[in-house]
Amino acid sequence: ILFFKKIEKAKPLKCGTFGATSLQQRYLATGDFGGNLNIWNLEAPEIPVYSVKAHKEIINSIDGVGGLGIGEGAPEIVTGSRDGTVKVWDPRQKDTPVANMEPVQGESRRDCWTVAFGNAYNQEERVVCAGYDNGDIKLFDLKTMSLRWETNIKNGVCSVEFDRKDVNMNKLVATSLEGKFHVFDMRTQHPTKGFASVSEKAHKSTMWQVRHLPQNRDIFMTSGGAGSLHLWKYEYPAQRSKKDSEGAEMGVAGSVSLLQNVTLSTQPISSLDWSPDKKGLCVCGAFDQTVRVLIVTKLNKV
Amino acid sequence: GTTKTYQIPIGHLDYKFIEKCTDVKHLEKILRVLRSGEEGCYPDLTLFCEKRIEHLHPASRALRKDKPAATASDFTAEEWETINGELMSWVTEMNEDDYKSQFIETDILHERQDNLPPIRCSSSCLPANQNKSLQSKQRNKKNVPRDYSEWDKFDVEKECSKIDEGCDENNSKARFFTRPSLPVIDKKIDTTGMTKKDKIFIATREKEKGNEAFAIGDYMEAVTYYTRSISVLPTVAAYNNKAQAEIKLQHWHSALQDCEKVLDMEPGNIKALMRRATVHSHLQNYQTAIEDLMKVLYAEPENAIAKKNLLEIEKKLEDIKPVSETKSKGKKILIQDIEDSEGGEERGEDIKEYERSRGEKKKKAQKHLSDHEGEVNGFLNHDQKGESHEAEKISRSHGTGSLSADGGSSLLPPIAAKLKSEGNELFKSGQFGEAVLKYSAAIEYVMGLGEQNPGDISILYSNRAACYLKEGNCSDCIQDCNRALELQPFSLKPLLRRAMAYESMERYRQAYIDYKTVLQIDSSIHAASDSVNRITKTLIDQDGPSWREKLPPIPVVPVSAQLHRWDAGNFTSETKPRSTADANREEQLQMTSEKDEEKFKTLKNEGNDFVKKGKYEEAVNKYSECMKLNTKECTVYTNRALCYLKLYKYEEAKQDCDHVLQIEDSNIKAFYRRALAYKGLQNYQASVDDLNKVLLIDPNVLEAKKELQQITQLLSLESNAVASSQQKQRKKIIIQEVTEFDEQKEGQSATSEDAVSEEVRTSALLKTAEKLSISEPTNAYDFGQILNTVNANKDECACADLLTIIDPPKLPVLLSNKLEGEIFLIFIQSLACYVLGKDPGLVYQHLFYLSKAERFKVVLALLSKNEKEQVQQLFDLLSEKQNHQYSLEDLESLKKVYEL
Repeated sequence: ILFFKKIEKAKPLKCGTFGATSLQQRYLATGDFGGNLNIWNLEAPEIPVYSVKAHKEIINSIDGVGGLGIGEGAPEIVTGSRDGTVKVWDPRQKDTPVANMEPVQGESRRDCWTVAFGNAYNQEERVVCAGYDNGDIKLFDLKTMSLRWETNIKNGVCSVEFDRKDVNMNKLVATSLEGKFHVFDMRTQHPTKGFASVSEKAHKSTMWQVRHLPQNRDIFMTSGGAGSLHLWKYEYPAQRSKKDSEGAEMGVAGSVSLLQNVTLSTQPISSLDWSPDKKGLCVCGAFDQTVRVLIVTKLNKV
Repeated sequence: GTTKTYQIPIGHLDYKFIEKCTDVKHLEKILRVLRSGEEGCYPDLTLFCEKRIEHLHPASRALRKDKPAATASDFTAEEWETINGELMSWVTEMNEDDYKSQFIETDILHERQDNLPPIRCSSSCLPANQNKSLQSKQRNKKNVPRDYSEWDKFDVEKECSKIDEGCDENNSKARFFTRPSLPVIDKKIDTTGMTKKDKIFIATREKEKGNEAFAIGDYMEAVTYYTRSISVLPTVAAYNNKAQAEIKLQHWHSALQDCEKVLDMEPGNIKALMRRATVHSHLQNYQTAIEDLMKVLYAEPENAIAKKNLLEIEKKLEDIKPVSETKSKGKKILIQDIEDSEGGEERGEDIKEYERSRGEKKKKAQKHLSDHEGEVNGFLNHDQKGESHEAEKISRSHGTGSLSADGGSSLLPPIAAKLKSEGNELFKSGQFGEAVLKYSAAIEYVMGLGEQNPGDISILYSNRAACYLKEGNCSDCIQDCNRALELQPFSLKPLLRRAMAYESMERYRQAYIDYKTVLQIDSSIHAASDSVNRITKTLIDQDGPSWREKLPPIPVVPVSAQLHRWDAGNFTSETKPRSTADANREEQLQMTSEKDEEKFKTLKNEGNDFVKKGKYEEAVNKYSECMKLNTKECTVYTNRALCYLKLYKYEEAKQDCDHVLQIEDSNIKAFYRRALAYKGLQNYQASVDDLNKVLLIDPNVLEAKKELQQITQLLSLESNAVASSQQKQRKKIIIQEVTEFDEQKEGQSATSEDAVSEEVRTSALLKTAEKLSISEPTNAYDFGQILNTVNANKDECACADLLTIIDPPKLPVLLSNKLEGEIFLIFIQSLACYVLGKDPGLVYQHLFYLSKAERFKVVLALLSKNEKEQVQQLFDLLSEKQNHQYSLEDLESLKKVYEL
């Protein structure tokens, strides 16, 4: 394997995304241990094209939308940090975030472990989902600037992802610290019960990350603390919504089935992603300091 | 003793126990104990236990095993070859793309920035915890782990087993703020500043989103995404998928358009053909559906779905037309009759000859009418007159047919009308192939529009059928006739053309049936009765005396269709009462399909034929035979009288007429012929009397007047007064004739002949079409017209436009008593889909006034459960979008009115 380029920076990097850049530009946005958000032109990596001291502590998670042809509307980056805040940035605006979600004064600040964009199906609509160490999942509506929904899954939320960022919210997968994950059907929100969900356990250890297949939103892969990868498929129920006794619409969760599982390492696999171009090609990084490239075959037949 | 971990009795770790145990959870525990090896290592027992669990619960989590990723050694050489090959080809592809994109430099990059939405209003701060009570409640609950150090103490197994108990709990503490309204997704994507590569990427992505929506049955969303994909880059796949989604939504016309697009881009695309067949079959164009499926089967003879669909559609077709025989049968006859084939062809040509000469005859007929004044004795020209007369009549009856069709709700769109007139021109100049193309284009256009005026399309098909017939392409002719008849049952031209086509294909039985049907509708068509006789003979030769038994039943023509033609025929017959054709018609209307009468009819037809050929002796014989069967049938007598007149047997003619007049004292033909007989007998006074009687019954009979004039001359002086009085009258009649003739011409042009008046009609059409789409309806009738069109096309968008234009308080007036379930539903749907997003107040207003409309209660009472739900949904959305224009109380009370 050849390195095209090796770039070293002073602060260790925690996370990065290409999600808010155009297909031609391909600028990388990174969050580091010092709480800095930087956007790099990889052709000229000496000076960042955008830089801001985003958080007081480490940026745990980053996500982008509006770039790469995915998601309508402005390119935006969301960062979640140990300081308990979730901030949304527009690369066109220096220094200040375009939205800031933090606990009110006096509330305990929970460590935000994961953030994700979704619902960006037109220019106005957009939501941010954030997962916290105490098991809170919060859904912020950026259009109305309100907290749309929150729930608690009892265990720290390691990773959240919408099956698609650029459609009317369909599904959300949240993985937890203690080896289980929840799939929420985000189409129907009940006034009191919220979104319907199904949960499944696997890995027998922390589920570090979940990533949906870009070519089929109902297939996703989870990576686990025991060095394993599990490939799942979500099956929709016959009816996605029903009426409760008061006549309000409520969602009906489907079921999840395991398609395949492999164990690659004894160390946790902390990071995972699919190729947008080649169906089934994926890459994962593990604590054993190895980056592995895998190909999942026969995805057409699922 | 028991095991250490789960306290399972040691005895349970046994083949017999495991075999009988059905408690999966217990077995899973046993398996875990066995795998851990804490009670010793028993590989066989472990395997046995696994198998048992697999048998009871194949998806059991306990069965999941860790395994390494597959490598090259896990595959057979070929499998690995394909995997590797695919990957390598992808890598080269990507490298090429990268290489190419280096040349396209990034000027566009900055352009793209321009069409980005503005930066979100900055520094908006949003408290992450809004509800304090909820927070405190959560704090009471022990969230594990509270601290990073606690993680080490965490027991995964224990936590995992908790999941089985309560996963639903999670939902209970969720919070709710707002609910989204119906998603508004742009149907188009702004592609400015995109490179081709980007476009491909985005088009593919949008298509994939469509596929995913389709997979879960959200067809509306799927269509939206396919449309977006097409807006970026039209592809065959996207159109094809969109067509499928439209089919699921039962938007047949959009689906049809999409299929056509695919077939434009890629003729012979199997999927598109299959889908078009489905659409056609739902639109009841079974023949077209069958054609498409045949094309599919031609390309893929083993396509099982196509075969199945074909069978289904053929069955449907069979149900509709029990008369038509299957093709295979027809073929069989063809083989049997190889010897006869020459004769058959000749016959076919005869017909064609006839068809060709018909146009000329029409011209003659026109001339004839204008020359009428000078004509002294119509007698001698009887044959020519009869035929020309009949030719007119065909065209006339068609004229009325098509005119009545034109009177229907939707009209032929201008483009189609233009195509049609071009087709007519080509047809007239004998370029039948080109004419076919024009007609096909017209048909496609009309079908594509989704507006369905069966009359117009029927005429187009019928015209195309004529072209095919001329070309000798009988099978296509038959197909087109079938379609025309499906749309407009019992119309003459297609029936006649089909009959001719059948006859030239030697499918005599079908031809016979069709000719008979034609005669039922309009008995004055000579070509039909001639052919019937001809075919009868052939069939007798072929099948022997019992040939009738092998015939399929003759469809009974509904009275409405008969009367329609009858009126048209009558119109002409008044001017020419002498034509034998009229006689036939009268009789045949009274005919049923019973056998005696059938024979009677045949005999009479034969007689009529002889008359036409000038063989009056034979005709007399036939008619006499007829009389043996039925003495009360006046027409036979009048016909025989005519023959006698021709044979100069005036006495016999007089007797026949007398006989008729005994039965029917006002039979105009009998009087007329008796007058002629008297004239022959030189009893001029009696002749004049009879002619006067004729004129008394019907003052418009030209021949009678001429005769009278002639005879009065013969009677010389004494009848001068009568003659002059008639002179006056005659002038008046001439004028009438002229106007009538004009009408006829118009009638003809409406079908296929005159391109000029076609254009006039087209311009008239243009006006109406504009009116439909643009203007605000001023009265209930206009509104009803628009509504019908909207409803026929299920065009919610147009309906929404309509509702936006009109003032809600006017709604009950405009609707008058026309409110129906369908209209109600399309209102609800268009309000929900299109109007609600723009103006919720208007929706409320409309709903409010809709409830004031006539028949509202009835329609409401008849709504199905599903339909009621749609209404309910609309109200739900309305209550969310509540604003100053209406209060929630208003909405609640309106809900009550809607019985929700």
